[in-house]
Amino acid sequence: MDLSELKKESDLSFDIANAKKNALERAESRKLIVYNYSIFSADPETINLVNVLKQHFDTFIILDNNSNPCKIDNPDEFLNILIQRNQEALNEYHRLYETLKRKS
Amino acid sequence: MSAGVLIYCFDTDKIKYHLTTNFCIKQIKQHLSLPVTVVTNLATKDYIQGADSFEIIENKKGNKRFYKGEIIDWFNLERSNAYEYSPYDITILLDSDYFVYTDNLLQLLDSKYDFLLHNKVFDLTGRSTFEYKNKSLIDLVWATVTIFKKNSKTKKIFDLIKHIQNNYQYFCNLYRIDFKNYRNDYAFAIALHQLNIKDFIPIKMSMLPADANIMEIDSYNIKFRWLNSFGTLQKQDVHVLNKEIPFNV
Repeated sequence: MDLSELKKESDLSFDIANAKKNALERAESRKLIVYNYSIFSADPETINLVNVLKQHFDTFIILDNNSNPCKIDNPDEFLNILIQRNQEALNEYHRLYETLKRKS
Repeated sequence: MSAGVLIYCFDTDKIKYHLTTNFCIKQIKQHLSLPVTVVTNLATKDYIQGADSFEIIENKKGNKRFYKGEIIDWFNLERSNAYEYSPYDITILLDSDYFVYTDNLLQLLDSKYDFLLHNKVFDLTGRSTFEYKNKSLIDLVWATVTIFKKNSKTKKIFDLIKHIQNNYQYFCNLYRIDFKNYRNDYAFAIALHQLNIKDFIPIKMSMLPADANIMEIDSYNIKFRWLNSFGTLQKQDVHVLNKEIPFNV
């Protein structure tokens, strides 16, 4: 067993795992949006909540990331922004993930 | 409504803060396109490039900190005056070692919040270097990026921070803070606690610890090394704590 080779493998594996974590954190930052003066994350929970509520109400209230209420007057517009930002962030993460996969 | 960035920069014997400030300004111009005001002293002003305006002051001295095994000067006693120094209606108050690589901060200027900063951080080296839970009775906040509007509410916050700064040892004892030299992060945390303000920038601030060596840096990425580990950052705003940054590489 070549220990130096194993050490190299181990270091590389750590670097790749860390790069993934950092890229995921970058994606989380990119998901942040300000809509109607409130701060939201374009995460699955918000997207699903807005999608469900808009099927029942023309306008509705949801809580922003600081747990303050925000009236959503145009659910279609808001949902569209959320989805776009979510996919922008995740496409970037996916691109980096594929690069890292080739290295490992 | 005017908006801009306020940065403090005072060179010390050990650290030429103007180098990080100049890079910080360059990044702001590239990614945020906002005017930049630098609060500085006469000795440092001539070295600063790219700022739109200056606030020249004679900065308070006397505070020290531990950095890489040495006790060094820490000219951090002017941040509580940011409300007065800022010429903008909405200000992004930035540490000169916070480098923006995205326009993420821009949208926060449109929020309803009068005063925002981070209360969570993320260690880019994969450790938990910034775990301060057992260092005080109060949760730490980070004054590195502070977004504030000028109004009577934020004036009170800054007035309270000044009061805390003037009586820092008392508040250190009250909150059992295990960091006796004045630190803005704790002064801001105490002020927000006293005023019961619980609104924050709801993402983690990315941090590169002081023991992470910066190998390369340019307008688009940072390459760093920590022990045998290497990393590259792109399109990610970052707070760099190591002050030996090879800007000319």
